[in-house]
Amino acid sequence: MKSCLMRAALLSLATCAPLLAAAPPPPLPAEHLTLTTLPPNSPHRIYVLDEAFLNEIDARIDLFDGDTYRRLGQIDAGFNPGFNLSPDGKTSVVSTTYWARGARGARTDVVEFTDNTNLSVTHEIVLPPKRAMTLPTYFNIGYSSDSHFLYVSYVTPAASFGVLDPAKGTVLDEIDTAGCVLVIPSGPNRVASLCESGRLQTVTLDAQGHEASRAMSDPFFDADTDPVFVQGVPITGGYAFLSFLGQVHEVDFSGAQPTFQKPWSLLSAADKAQNWRPGGAQVGAIHRKLGKLFVAMHRGGEGTHKAPGTEIWVFDMKTHQRVARWPMAPQKLASALAVQVSQDDAPLLFAATENADIAVFDALTGELRHVEKKFGQTPWLMMNP
Amino acid sequence: MRSIDRLFENSSRSLARHTSRRSLLATLGKILTGAALIPLLPVDRSSRAEAAEAGGPATAKPPGKSGSKAKAATDDPLSCDYWKYCAVDGFLCSCCGGTSNSCPPGTAASPITWIGTCHNPADSRDYIVSYNDCCGKASCGNCECNRNEREKPMYRPSRNNDLNWCMANADSNYHCSVSVILGVAEK
Repeated sequence: MKSCLMRAALLSLATCAPLLAAAPPPPLPAEHLTLTTLPPNSPHRIYVLDEAFLNEIDARIDLFDGDTYRRLGQIDAGFNPGFNLSPDGKTSVVSTTYWARGARGARTDVVEFTDNTNLSVTHEIVLPPKRAMTLPTYFNIGYSSDSHFLYVSYVTPAASFGVLDPAKGTVLDEIDTAGCVLVIPSGPNRVASLCESGRLQTVTLDAQGHEASRAMSDPFFDADTDPVFVQGVPITGGYAFLSFLGQVHEVDFSGAQPTFQKPWSLLSAADKAQNWRPGGAQVGAIHRKLGKLFVAMHRGGEGTHKAPGTEIWVFDMKTHQRVARWPMAPQKLASALAVQVSQDDAPLLFAATENADIAVFDALTGELRHVEKKFGQTPWLMMNP
Repeated sequence: MRSIDRLFENSSRSLARHTSRRSLLATLGKILTGAALIPLLPVDRSSRAEAAEAGGPATAKPPGKSGSKAKAATDDPLSCDYWKYCAVDGFLCSCCGGTSNSCPPGTAASPITWIGTCHNPADSRDYIVSYNDCCGKASCGNCECNRNEREKPMYRPSRNNDLNWCMANADSNYHCSVSVILGVAEK
């Protein structure tokens, strides 16, 4: 019996030997469920507003890192949102609309504040149901330079804007703008709006956020012959407004009233003959220190002002000369609907294409660094700190 | 003209419900001015010729969708190239349970609207077209169409198709857009 047992043990060992040789590695340790924290802010971080046009009550802002090419997180944005960053870049503000039962029911217009260090909503301010429901620009919602006031554009279709106290979470006033639209903040207490007459109306507020005075500028564009895009592009001390036919109107908002530089054209005679025009949803971006303007350009006639750019043209803001043109198609990219550039010394140019890809270029050379495929559904505005 | 009367009557009622007296007066003034101007709206054939000449994406070119060469306007209400849709930006109600001039079941028409001038190649006439939104349900999501002939930015709201024209409806969610002929454009 003993020898029998020995034989069985030996046989068993022999059978198991190959298995023992391929013994599995030790099991993985148990994991801890954690919460990812955002990396430190970077000039190459971009906030991409996805209008989610096919299911418009579900817009969102997606954060993307232009160095690691990683999606960093999401801020929910409801329906037809306005979006902006606080002057210190630490807070995102979304002005949006919700209905009590998803697509219907009681309407609530609200501004939501998100802490950009952890993407948590910190608080909100409920608005009167007058928020301008329109495409996103820099001017749907915006802070005063000292962050003391927050302004929200209203259209009912009567035009006005709300003055909010973001710290106290209150609506301070509503200012009727007599048909002029959007909020272009300047200084601690001024708000300009674009008027159909081609003028800018500037309302100056008192310390309590009520109207102290208002003034109307001279006209700087003609809405009939060559309207400007409402997607102004930040320049030092103001904004550049591009026109449908390629004029650049630089407006200085640093004084009590806006002042206008002599407009200049993006187009040579040859460009005009070929019907080149700016277009898209976010038409241009400017690197302020370098004085470089990046514009999405296409060929087309009347009615093509929303057509995306088949090329991105680069201009020197001082000489008004085009210094580069970067066609999208040779890079196997669809046309550009929105462009944005980082403001650091190694700048990145971001282009959101009509296929919802995000292309990342070296803004100095035009070298394509990365294409983030199908980043969202309809990315129509990109913001950065 | 009856439809124009009804349109502006509805606009006035909606404004009265949703705006202050001061803003009502301001807006009413604009709307009445607009009504007076409708027969005088310019019809710019040269720009259309320019678009065709350039081969540019003047038609059927929605953001987020690949565009094609400008096509001749068609008479198919399910196509973005349908002649009446020359300033539509949104979803065609024809593809959402309605027609080119009828809102889908369960929605409500916006009483306020933007206006376009479109050329009908079938009779070589130019027509004033009202682009009403149909409201109260989530985005239809079908037949996205973005054409912008004579469209202007939102500082000229009567010609702007970026605004959600359901804004003054009791249920202000945007579903789709219709294109309603108001009449022949006066020359």
